[in-house]
Amino acid sequence: MKNEIILEAKGVKKCFGGVVALSNGNLRCRKGRITGLLGANGSGKSTISKIIAGVYKPDGGEIHYNGRIVHYRNPHEARQDGIALVFQNLSLVPDLTVWQNVVLGIERNRGLFLDDEGARLLAREILEELYPGFDVERKVSELSPGEMQVVEVAKALAANPQLLILDEPTASLEQAQVRSLFACMRTLAQKGVAMIFTSHRLWEVMEICDEVTIFRNGEDVATIDFDTEEKDPEKIIGYITGEQRKTVVAVNHGKASGDVLLRVKVKSKTRDKFLDDVSFELHEGEILGIGGLAGQGQEELMYALAGSYPNVRCEIELKGKKIRLHRPQDAIRHSILLVPGDRQREGLFLDHSVYDNAIFPRLGLRGHPLWIPEREYRRMCEEAVRILSIKTPGVDAPVNTLSGGNQQKVVVARWLSFDVQVLLLADPAKGVDVGAKRDLYEYIVKLAREKKIGVLLYASDNEEFVEYCDRLLIMYEGQIVATLQGDEINDDAITAASMRVR
Amino acid sequence: MDRVTKEKGFPLTRLFFKPESSSMFILIVMLIINIVLQKNFFETKSIVRNINAFAPLILLAMGQAIVIVSGGLDLSSGAALSLFTCVLTTVMKQNEPITGFYALLVTFAIALMVGIVNGIGIGYLRIPPVIVTFATSYIWLGIALFLRPTPGGETVGWFRIFYRARSVEGIPALIRTMDNFIPPALILVLIGCLLWFVVSRTRTGRYVYAVGSNMESAYVSGIDTAKTQMLACVMNAVFIFLAALFFVAQNQSGDARMGGPLTIKSIAAVVVGGISLFGGRGSIYFALVGAMILELVSKIIFFADIPNAYQTLVSGIIVIVAIAGPAYVMFNKEKR
Repeated sequence: MKNEIILEAKGVKKCFGGVVALSNGNLRCRKGRITGLLGANGSGKSTISKIIAGVYKPDGGEIHYNGRIVHYRNPHEARQDGIALVFQNLSLVPDLTVWQNVVLGIERNRGLFLDDEGARLLAREILEELYPGFDVERKVSELSPGEMQVVEVAKALAANPQLLILDEPTASLEQAQVRSLFACMRTLAQKGVAMIFTSHRLWEVMEICDEVTIFRNGEDVATIDFDTEEKDPEKIIGYITGEQRKTVVAVNHGKASGDVLLRVKVKSKTRDKFLDDVSFELHEGEILGIGGLAGQGQEELMYALAGSYPNVRCEIELKGKKIRLHRPQDAIRHSILLVPGDRQREGLFLDHSVYDNAIFPRLGLRGHPLWIPEREYRRMCEEAVRILSIKTPGVDAPVNTLSGGNQQKVVVARWLSFDVQVLLLADPAKGVDVGAKRDLYEYIVKLAREKKIGVLLYASDNEEFVEYCDRLLIMYEGQIVATLQGDEINDDAITAASMRVR
Repeated sequence: MDRVTKEKGFPLTRLFFKPESSSMFILIVMLIINIVLQKNFFETKSIVRNINAFAPLILLAMGQAIVIVSGGLDLSSGAALSLFTCVLTTVMKQNEPITGFYALLVTFAIALMVGIVNGIGIGYLRIPPVIVTFATSYIWLGIALFLRPTPGGETVGWFRIFYRARSVEGIPALIRTMDNFIPPALILVLIGCLLWFVVSRTRTGRYVYAVGSNMESAYVSGIDTAKTQMLACVMNAVFIFLAALFFVAQNQSGDARMGGPLTIKSIAAVVVGGISLFGGRGSIYFALVGAMILELVSKIIFFADIPNAYQTLVSGIIVIVAIAGPAYVMFNKEKR
């Protein structure tokens, strides 16, 4: 029977150390329906997904699955029972190939040995739907983040789940891939698979979900069934943040007001597919977006300007003076500072404290004193925590205990004490919730306008360009193919320019 | 970014910069130098002698490689080797051929135990592998010294089948002739290779790489990571057991201190074979290549008439140049 309840979580509790992650979590899923799970970072939505999938054991409450109470000891038991989780922090093994990953943990034998041919076939079959023409023989470590996410979804599907939990699967996908994922989800729903879907992009949730449950501070605060109630984003945001707040009117699309701050001419030494020939100017106080489809050289451009992409010849003028960027230190000394998108891999020392992370780049400066002036730095760090309103028990708390949005703020915080000239943001809001994202961007916009800093922004979500950019360059295969300005920056125009429709 | 570095350079240079191919290249260079220095390299006798000299390190290195790929490290392999030789020579009584079988059984059981103990420490108790195996290396050494405070012990006559089959009395003529071309040491190495060949085509083989590559991911994929690491340790112990058979057959005695220096050498061989110390990456078979390179270096030094006092120094320099050279060039190419 359709719409039959397949899973019900009642009063689920979970603490980590002394921190309550989930105080009273209730969630209901029905066969063939997609339940959206919304909430700020640290609201407990990730925690409840992981409890259902057997990653964590709950401290209290009950989970009914297919009419019986279940206690999974590990994700494998849940997977065998038909509950598959698409992980946010991917569960792929980098040194194995795509097909080996897809069947990892559920390999079948043919005779004494593993059935590798069958596994290849299965992987190809599943991926054909999600991403036609995907090469299953590549190693996962060679894939882009978007491709990894696709493989992650394929891996969950390989187990033939009855309940599929997708924890922010779209964060690193480009729009076309999101479309094919949604198409695939709809097919699954028709087959009667229940799904739980989390995303920070509201429009995605509105589009794909049949109902949403909203979490705040470890509790579910509302459930909205889109069959009976209207889709009202303002109301949902209200539930998420806990305050009735109107969407900020798009930050004024100012014209490029100031003088030219940075003049960039980047040419690849060999013919590089990712970064070929790019030149542009960045003005003082300007927020310049770098858009386009994923993987067209935007991130490579960021790395080149940060001095860590060797394959290009850069001619760069900062305030009319030529500078050389060979190593990351060069960029830092000229106050060209990078906030990388993948904070867990490139931005932070996860096991170290907020303080260590915040002061670290200072230690590499020329003329840094032999003894670290701890007291002064602590003061600076505490101030940065205050300015960015980073939610942390203290500056000595390890960074990996913070939520994603706060982690990203720490990356920004470490540049605060520098005399910033150019800020390079490579998808800074990836996996950051709506509220924290707004905070972060508003702060950066303010910084840019007040201190006349040039900001170069790459984001995987077009909405961020629309809201915050003064000017937008569209990249395609390592070149700039279009420039959008002011009111031209809207979703349709961006998509059209990215796909080179015009 | 990985894609970018991968697509750079000509196909040939790319091939050279793969860790495996550069190990292969070093091996070929070493072999050529050796052939030039040693006039009778291709005589059957000298080939057999080489195989006998290389086999123990090859076996140890392959076992070590399995543990390292699974994300562990075994600092006790040399001590375990000594222990096995002592157990073998203690159980065997010279005039009772049947004790040879007992010795094999008892030692194999102990080998499994050794693997399980290391595996419990690394896999289940989650103690850092360096600490676990450093501690167990003293335990193995202690037991070995208890059994055999000084080198010695007895072996049965037929035990020489693991070293020189033709010297065993009453051996069939076929094996006797075969022994002239295929020394038992080579067969032991082939048994080791076959063992890994079989395992690598089962779940365990796949999981060893998965666990070493990313334990968290492997765990949430439903892999029993602790069991996998333990199985890696047990396989390692089996490889050490094979090496112990050869040693006892060759020396006709057990020695509690003979294995010590081989531990670090086996780890070095693994690294030279292009296997990542961080786990998950590299081919187990290339531990064999790494072991051969290290042994060839010592041989080259011997034939190059370098004064005794400088031999270790020179061998160290050769290893550094051979390994670090390509790595350095590669680093400069990939610097970003």
